[in-house]
Amino acid sequence: MRSIGEYIRLYFIIEAQYIKARLQYRVDFIISSIGMFFSSLITLGVFWVIFDTVPDLAGWSLMEMAFIYAFYMIAISPMQIIFDHFWQLRFNLQQGNFLKYYFRPLNMMFYYTSEMFDLKGLTQLFVGTALLIYTASQLHVAWTFGRVGLLFITLFSAALVQISIVVLAACAAFWVLDSYPVLGLAWRLREFAPYPMSIFDGAFRFTFTYVLPIGFIAFYPSQIFLRPEEVSHLTYFSPVIGIGLFALTYWVWTKGVNSYTGTGS
Amino acid sequence: MSLIHVNNLAKHFKVLNRREGLGGAFRDLFSGDYRTVKAVDGISFDIEAGEIVGYIGPNGAGKSTTIKMMTGILKPSGGEIRINDHVPFENRIRQAQIMGVVFGQRTQLWWDLPVIESFKILKEIYKVSQKTFDEHMGMFNELVGLKALYSQQVRTLSLGQRMLCDITASFLHNPQIVFLDEPTIGLDISIKAKIRTIIKELNTARKTTIILTTHDLGDVEALSHRVIIIDKGKKLYDGDTKKVNALFGAYRTLKVQVNDFDEGTLDALKNKLAEQFGATNKITVAQTEEFWTDITIDQALTPLSEVLNCVMTNFSILDVRIVEIAMEDVVQRIYDGALA
Repeated sequence: MRSIGEYIRLYFIIEAQYIKARLQYRVDFIISSIGMFFSSLITLGVFWVIFDTVPDLAGWSLMEMAFIYAFYMIAISPMQIIFDHFWQLRFNLQQGNFLKYYFRPLNMMFYYTSEMFDLKGLTQLFVGTALLIYTASQLHVAWTFGRVGLLFITLFSAALVQISIVVLAACAAFWVLDSYPVLGLAWRLREFAPYPMSIFDGAFRFTFTYVLPIGFIAFYPSQIFLRPEEVSHLTYFSPVIGIGLFALTYWVWTKGVNSYTGTGS
Repeated sequence: MSLIHVNNLAKHFKVLNRREGLGGAFRDLFSGDYRTVKAVDGISFDIEAGEIVGYIGPNGAGKSTTIKMMTGILKPSGGEIRINDHVPFENRIRQAQIMGVVFGQRTQLWWDLPVIESFKILKEIYKVSQKTFDEHMGMFNELVGLKALYSQQVRTLSLGQRMLCDITASFLHNPQIVFLDEPTIGLDISIKAKIRTIIKELNTARKTTIILTTHDLGDVEALSHRVIIIDKGKKLYDGDTKKVNALFGAYRTLKVQVNDFDEGTLDALKNKLAEQFGATNKITVAQTEEFWTDITIDQALTPLSEVLNCVMTNFSILDVRIVEIAMEDVVQRIYDGALA
């Protein structure tokens, strides 16, 4: 068995090559990065338009909303940058080229994931980070060591929740012919993540908290920094939810991998 | 103990009996009406280290299912496989470390990367030492002039070049067994010959065991002393390639397009050939695809040129092709007792 350290080293070796190859298509990289940059800005623009007419959203100010949105942008980035290959899982399975992932002495999820690295997602990560720093300073968030530690832990958990939801949906392709409806829905769900859960109705709020826990991608963890005095106890479960959900995803993936028989050659 | 031991191996798939039409499709959703398809049905063989074995059969014979079980992807429904005294399915990673796999049409190299980078990544994945790596890369370079392709992206290689890279890459970590699935499919004659030479040399260089699945009897003829023929999940023949070649190597199929083809043409052809060469010459006439009539001849009994001449003088022929005997015909002739 390989150690985590060996896998990390291997990941950097593969990705370094991959990035070098992608950078050769300079125009593609520049245009898609610009696209990503503007699509981030547009959502912020929508917030600004809304807050131009209403002073606050369920008690949350524009700056607080922008903080939650920044948290969200960072939290969904690992899904886009590292786990991007899962968008193609359904094609790989249908066309039978998924077989090759069985033939290397590597963990299959690692090998599959390592084959793609989405550079343009980095733009979103940078914009998100800049926005988080800016909004935090405007909101006078007091950064202590503990808070910074909590920020990393909650971001990590939130990223795991987002990754798990999409990968889980992608894994549907092991059992159904066209998994796009499931995958598309899972990806659209994230659009509900950067809003205060309190604006949703009871049933939706319940779903987004306990069933499809997208509330843990941005809103619940942001509260720790925005309104520490109002934090619900649930928030502290976010690492458990992130890791638990990912463990479930990994289990489903393993089931799928073992049940796949491939196409005829 | 042989390197590969396969005993009474079976793989059964449960397949839903589908009903017709839209209504049928809906009822299928709740149907428990399965039938069992025996993709592999009691196959046994032993393969020693260093052998090259041709594993052949027509489409749907169960070739790739057997390979998938030997490579540890599929779990057998019955029987046993032991490779190096281990069960492949129980530890996929251990199995992957000791084998190399090439799948004809699908490259396992990194599509966007230059060839040399793929080899370097493989070096890391299989933990190949620098010394072995340099040695092997030197050997590959001598064999196929790999250096000339180092800086090319895999996506820009021709099919033949890519196959050369894929095959050499599968030998990089010095595996005990290499599975080659249709390594010459879609390639032209000259590159086919080159690939066969290289496979042979790689086999001798390190005494690597090679399992070769193919449609092309020519591959088997050029590479292996031993051939296993399977059909419908069962083993039909396991033995000397020479014996198979002696029987089928001389067979050719003459494909002709007859002008104004009608129902009587096949019989007319049959009668004419029987009249000319006698009824015992084993010439068969059949229509296998639209517009084309297949005349299969054993050249040891009847010279191809005479048959062609006879057909050309007595019928109005639009087009002619000569091909090697198809796998399906070989299998049919074995059923008819050709190798008994």
